Amino acid sequence: MPYFELDVLDNVKQPIVGIDLGTTNSLIALWRDGRPEVLRPDPTSDDGRIPSVIQFPSGGRPLVGRAARAAAVAAPETAIFSVKRFMGRGLADVRDDLAAVPFPAAENERGVIQFQVGARVYTPPALSAAILRECWERAGAALGREAPRRAVITVPAYFDDAQRQATRDAARLAGLDVARIINEPTAASLAYGLDQRREGKVAVFDLGGGTFDVSILDIEDGVFRVLSTAGDTHLGGDDLDRALGELALREIGAGLDPAIAADPAFRQGVRLAAERCKIELSSRLEAELKVLAPEAGLRWSRIVTRAELEALIDPFLERALACCRRALADSGLAGPVDEVVLVGGCTRIPAVRARVAAFFGRTPHTELSPDEVVALGAAVQGHVLAGGTRDILLMDVTPLSLGVETMGGAVAKAILRNSPVPTQATDTYTTYADNQTGIDFHVVQGERDLAADCRSLGRFKLSGIPPLPAGLARVSVRFSLDADGILTVTAREESTGAQASIEVQPMHGLTDGEVEGMLRASYDHAREDLDAGRRANLAVEVGTMVRAVERNLDTARDRLDPESWEELQAALAAARQAAAGADLASLQRARDELERAALPLAALLMDAVAKRALTGRTLDQV
Amino acid sequence: MGKTEEQGPVESPLFCARTKRLLEARGNLTPFEVLGLTPSYPLDDGALRRRLLRLSRQVHPDFHGQDDPATRELAERNMAELNTAFRILSDDFRRADWLVRSLGGPSEDQDREMPPEFLLEVFEWNEALEEARAAGVGSPARARLAAQEEALVRERRRAMDEVGAMLTPLPPAGSAALADIRRRLNSVRYLNRTLQEIAEIRLEEPAG
Repeated sequence: MPYFELDVLDNVKQPIVGIDLGTTNSLIALWRDGRPEVLRPDPTSDDGRIPSVIQFPSGGRPLVGRAARAAAVAAPETAIFSVKRFMGRGLADVRDDLAAVPFPAAENERGVIQFQVGARVYTPPALSAAILRECWERAGAALGREAPRRAVITVPAYFDDAQRQATRDAARLAGLDVARIINEPTAASLAYGLDQRREGKVAVFDLGGGTFDVSILDIEDGVFRVLSTAGDTHLGGDDLDRALGELALREIGAGLDPAIAADPAFRQGVRLAAERCKIELSSRLEAELKVLAPEAGLRWSRIVTRAELEALIDPFLERALACCRRALADSGLAGPVDEVVLVGGCTRIPAVRARVAAFFGRTPHTELSPDEVVALGAAVQGHVLAGGTRDILLMDVTPLSLGVETMGGAVAKAILRNSPVPTQATDTYTTYADNQTGIDFHVVQGERDLAADCRSLGRFKLSGIPPLPAGLARVSVRFSLDADGILTVTAREESTGAQASIEVQPMHGLTDGEVEGMLRASYDHAREDLDAGRRANLAVEVGTMVRAVERNLDTARDRLDPESWEELQAALAAARQAAAGADLASLQRARDELERAALPLAALLMDAVAKRALTGRTLDQV
Repeated sequence: MGKTEEQGPVESPLFCARTKRLLEARGNLTPFEVLGLTPSYPLDDGALRRRLLRLSRQVHPDFHGQDDPATRELAERNMAELNTAFRILSDDFRRADWLVRSLGGPSEDQDREMPPEFLLEVFEWNEALEEARAAGVGSPARARLAAQEEALVRERRRAMDEVGAMLTPLPPAGSAALADIRRRLNSVRYLNRTLQEIAEIRLEEPAG
């Protein structure tokens, strides 16, 4: 029964998709036929890029992706772009970016941003979840069946713990099971290493829509080992667009009504115009920058030269190259790198390419599309995690040091930046007052010496310490960073062995309760759409099974024991009835019952075709 | 260390090559145990790295993605052990520091002294560093840092060579030589920190 074994094998592997959840665009890819492939429902007209845009039509459900972007061009006051910039961040971190969001933003008590859209409130993870959901649905459309729910999701290498957790929450809200969170430059190196079959020291320069990363890797014998990484989670194409937009606004100057200038919709429009102009300048030496506000009688345009854009880019490029120097210094490499890989749409800009080539002294690789390479790498990692190959192994590092605030406000580092993950470290602390029964811990991430200058990950209190003279109690705290780069902290008091259960609630992060609440709410909201789709699929499936059983009724009547025959007849009748009705639950029950009742028949049948129709289909969906 | 040794299964308390199963570590493993090596100061960097890669192929959580949660958790722990062990052994200073402590020698907290002749040099470096820091980007004082860095790297290499000689073969546990080695290591630690500071200052200089 070779066909049967094949089905089972596919199931055991449980394929895992790779998703590049980008600032500007997102992509979803899957390992198929021996290579990673970006999934696109219509390969002829579709480049697979899903704009990371959510648009809120007045009345009706929000649009996501291409439809949202198209609608946003006409009505920028109804759309949110670049949600990724708000993930795991508080209002104070993102003032500049908020100016481009046409909805009021508030912050809850733990610093999670809340966008008020009409009567509803959306957090950044919820908005990212909508984008992930769109990716997943488009994957299903491309595959012609439900896409795998297990996913590798990429994040900028320089994302901190709160940003990673926010990404994981977004996946949960989208109904996805996160198999692994991997860093974007590392993912890109996987795709390149595989494509070019290269070994050696590689620098990945990843300048995307909103974030910049550089990673230095050593590729040896199929192992992709990251030596160091550096970056800036607030440096990317968005900044170039804004700089170009500001140039326009400066030149329009006095001619601009202040009320219009402050209008988010107008600003959004300026940003889109700047982005268009920037992209044109990658292939031409001049492009037109147009700013229109017909209702205010404003029609402004002028020619921008490539040289002008390059002058605007220069300060950003300097920041990126400073990161490169740090990464090189931290890598411990004695000589230059062997290869340079470019990732992200901004690396299409000729000036960026030239500066990077000069800096590393190597002509950068551009064989793979800088837009696709991260998603392709995520699909490779999905293939590894699904048990598809043992030839490739990715070993990454944590981008930021991790530590605890000490009495004087300094930071005692427990895990240093560029430590390979997973990693664990244990530090011992003591009491500073007699009979002190609790210690407060403040966990921070960052390189600065003072806790106040680092990112606060959260505070926790260890209580239940036995009353002892100062300095006698010994509390050991263990920090564990898992392979996703996400932190857990456990603590115990050594003299009594008392284990303290502690939970670090990330600043700017959602609690488990909140995630569950949002999940429930979104189910309520989306249940009808979802049910309709599931009902259609189930009805087709039940129909297929009914027909397969019907074709073999004679065999069943002749050869099944009377009890099985009766059960099969009953299940068949129920299935026919349910397929005609509209109730999802009874359809599901009827499918399950028919599947069970048909098992004895399936066992009887030697006919391969019939057997596939009876069991193959359901196996696919276990 | 011949080729054959490198191609056979690596003995490690983290993974049983015969049953292909992850092992639960018993008690505290030494970094040498984790990598299946006998304690010694001289180590071949390449061989150590290849050991890391081969063991990683056995214990890394990525290759246990299909296992039950307890096994996946164990893979995370064992890989963390492996990473920590490699971090200690792949760095000459950390390796020597670990060996001195494991032989019952003083820790850096117990003996903070440095060789006296070293203290004088420290004084000079600190002055040069302060001057460079204050002088600002592009100043001659900063340009001199490159030469200073080279001198310190040479100095560090010399000190580690001495430490290496004193640790080869390993002195007996509790031997008086360990205090001497600790003092030299204290000076290397100081050099490490100074080199780090120089690197930080040099990172401020524009790309060239």
